[in-house]
Amino acid sequence: MLTVEAIHTYYGKSHILHGVSLEVRPGEVVGLLGRNGVGKSTTLKTIMGLIHPTEGRIVFEGQPIARTAPHRLARLGIGYVPEDRRIFRLLTVMENLRTGLDRRGVTEERRNILLDKVYQSFPVLAERRYQAGGTLSGGEQQMLAIARAMMLEPKIILLDEPTEGLMPKMVAQIREIIGLLHRESVAILLVEQNVPLTLEVSDRIYIMEKGVVRHHAAAAALRSDDSVIHQYLGV
Amino acid sequence: MSAPRSSSGYWMGFAIVLALLAAAPLVLPEFWRRFVTEILIWGLLAMSSDILIGYTGMISFGHSAFFGLGMYGAAAALLTVRPPNLWLALLYGLIGAGVIAAFVAYFATRLRDIYFAITTLVFSQIFYVIIFTWTEVTGGENGLTFRQPPFSVPAVLSVPFTPVTLHWFVLAVVALSYLLLRRITQSPFGMVLQSIRENEPRTRAIGYHVERYKIVAVMLSGLFAGLAGVLYAVQNKFAAPDFVFFLISGEVVIFNVMGGMGTLVGPVAGAAFFLLLREVFSRFFTEYYLIPVGVIFTLMVVFMPQGLLGFLRRRLNQ
Amino acid sequence: MAEQLLIQLLIGLSSGMILALVASGLTLIFGIMDVVNFAHGELFMLGAYMGTTVLVTTGSFWLALLGASVAIALLGAALQITTLRPLVGRDPLTTILATFGISLVLQNYALWQYGPVARKIQEPITSQFQFFHIQFPWYRIVIAILSAAIIGALWLFLKYGKYGIWIRATTQDRIMASAMGIPVPLVHTAVFAIGSAMAAASGVLFGPLVGVNHAMGLDWILKAFIVVVVGGMGNLGGSILASLFVSLLEAFASLWVSPAQAVIVSFVVLILTLLFRPTGLFVPTPK
Repeated sequence: MLTVEAIHTYYGKSHILHGVSLEVRPGEVVGLLGRNGVGKSTTLKTIMGLIHPTEGRIVFEGQPIARTAPHRLARLGIGYVPEDRRIFRLLTVMENLRTGLDRRGVTEERRNILLDKVYQSFPVLAERRYQAGGTLSGGEQQMLAIARAMMLEPKIILLDEPTEGLMPKMVAQIREIIGLLHRESVAILLVEQNVPLTLEVSDRIYIMEKGVVRHHAAAAALRSDDSVIHQYLGV
Repeated sequence: MSAPRSSSGYWMGFAIVLALLAAAPLVLPEFWRRFVTEILIWGLLAMSSDILIGYTGMISFGHSAFFGLGMYGAAAALLTVRPPNLWLALLYGLIGAGVIAAFVAYFATRLRDIYFAITTLVFSQIFYVIIFTWTEVTGGENGLTFRQPPFSVPAVLSVPFTPVTLHWFVLAVVALSYLLLRRITQSPFGMVLQSIRENEPRTRAIGYHVERYKIVAVMLSGLFAGLAGVLYAVQNKFAAPDFVFFLISGEVVIFNVMGGMGTLVGPVAGAAFFLLLREVFSRFFTEYYLIPVGVIFTLMVVFMPQGLLGFLRRRLNQ
Repeated sequence: MAEQLLIQLLIGLSSGMILALVASGLTLIFGIMDVVNFAHGELFMLGAYMGTTVLVTTGSFWLALLGASVAIALLGAALQITTLRPLVGRDPLTTILATFGISLVLQNYALWQYGPVARKIQEPITSQFQFFHIQFPWYRIVIAILSAAIIGALWLFLKYGKYGIWIRATTQDRIMASAMGIPVPLVHTAVFAIGSAMAAASGVLFGPLVGVNHAMGLDWILKAFIVVVVGGMGNLGGSILASLFVSLLEAFASLWVSPAQAVIVSFVVLILTLLFRPTGLFVPTPK
């Protein structure tokens, strides 16, 4: 469904991605692991069209998207949950959700279904729906960021370090949400520092080092043999 | 900016341009002789603002204030002191522009980017309003007229200017100013200014006292703009509020953009280009010449941000 | 004396509301795309001229108000697409330069098209009411109310409208907005058009008070710049308050000095603001 072929990405003059390739199949959870600064977030940003790759191809459902504007990608069905969450701080929770809901072709009925679903999964968001996004706690903002992406009814969600800085209870909740999305056949490309969580929820794993993918395996294989993880991540 | 290919080549070029400019009044007809002298004066004004716009990254929309105060300062000296003295006019003009520059510099330390641009614009309008309405002192709308001072060396000689000798005088002042400004911009001080332009917080973090550098930059810029004002007053024998008005500041910005910011020579070329455009377009569009000039300017901002000089340089390097 | 103050209060409030209308557009545009629109005063001026044209052809002031706003909105959209869109990602200062270039063209176009003689817009309401010892024109009151209504409509639109939420989201985080499917370039163009329409509407409303001439843009852009800075860049409520504040001060000052000198009052307000509260008078804490 999503294929990334040998992309090279620059930030100004610094060369971040040196030919990254990976693939996500429909409904699959794919983990992207690696130490800090190896280009995991940049890979997601490049897929989302926030930075354009200088070389390489990105194909989503048969369509080349390496030069497509982010708002078109969102409409094609790619949801993005950035590392720093990027909640619209002055918008209420409801308005944050509306940024993804106010699309063409969303009926009133459909809106309510979508809203009900996230309010059920994240009761705290329902409580705070008229509160400004900036006043939420870190964990609540993370929920909102994911819920907001879900409003787009995406086929795939790019999830960038969703558990970073969260309390264990919140981490558990994030794990549940990933499970929920998985059951609904939403594909996920998950970037994480939390290795056990990633191994647990993912179907397949890519491991990055210095701007390239070094290793690729089924999550189950890595769960039973931790030498690879140890080699690349030192844990 | 970038070092010339060889130092001797640079000085050769400089000498040739200087010689051509010196010879110009001897061969050109009256109208064009005046034209070249004016280009030199506006070129000096353009260079002065380049210190801020091109080197420090502060867009001044108020250079007319410095220029105008230079004119009125010269006027004050020429009207109050008998016999009129060129050097005193210069001194008064520089004091006038310097005082204003100190005032602006004080604020400049606190302001960045658009705030600086807007504030310089507002300041220049304040001085415009004051000069325009304070008729008893400034002559109000009509301005002040006076006689041209002779060229003098105290106790040695005093000869009235002819158009040709005036041109040479202006050329000498502008050439010296250019050399001085070039030296300043290539000095460690100039490097710090450029570093402020590139990244102000980082420059501060390295330990430079950014505020002091900005104050000095504004003062320098204001003084050279005032010098241009004095020259213009001496050439034209009047000082008028029109020259404190925003339009002049706007033209200065145009000179910089057209010629190429941050190159010193560029803005002079920009001034020449602008005045030529005005000359040519006024023949077709009369007083509406700013329509095509404005279009060209806007296109250059968008498509040729390096200005004429940068564009030519890139072409030559290809 | 108290009567004089009350009269100046009314005058200051009505001019202040027009200024607020101009400044709202300017600050809206700055807030969302970091563009300091130097040509905003020219859009005000062209709006007023456009108003005279429509008024002459249709005879209706209200049609003139509407027609000028729509025409200038289209002009604004065209300018944004051709000139500002290519500058996205470049130093924000280049947008000042580009819009300055546009202002030169527009101002001289107006001079060429309409000539140097000021044109008059006939006010739609000529009746007056007795206010102490003078006859005060109802029209000034109407201006204040209309301006307030337009600003109020803008506020409601931003607060509740679908596209209003798009605009606010884009203002806060352009990149995330685009990742949520909001067509950011289109939103920018639309906001520029809205700001332009507001400038044009103010021009038409103000026209009857002084007459329309090609140089009026500079005065207004200066004043609008001042109140936008005094109110806090990009802060809509702040620039409205600052507009009223500055206009009232100017109105009161003109009791003692000539109108030309009263302008200096607003300059002084700006200087004091920059000295003591560079983030703006009406911003509680910088965000």
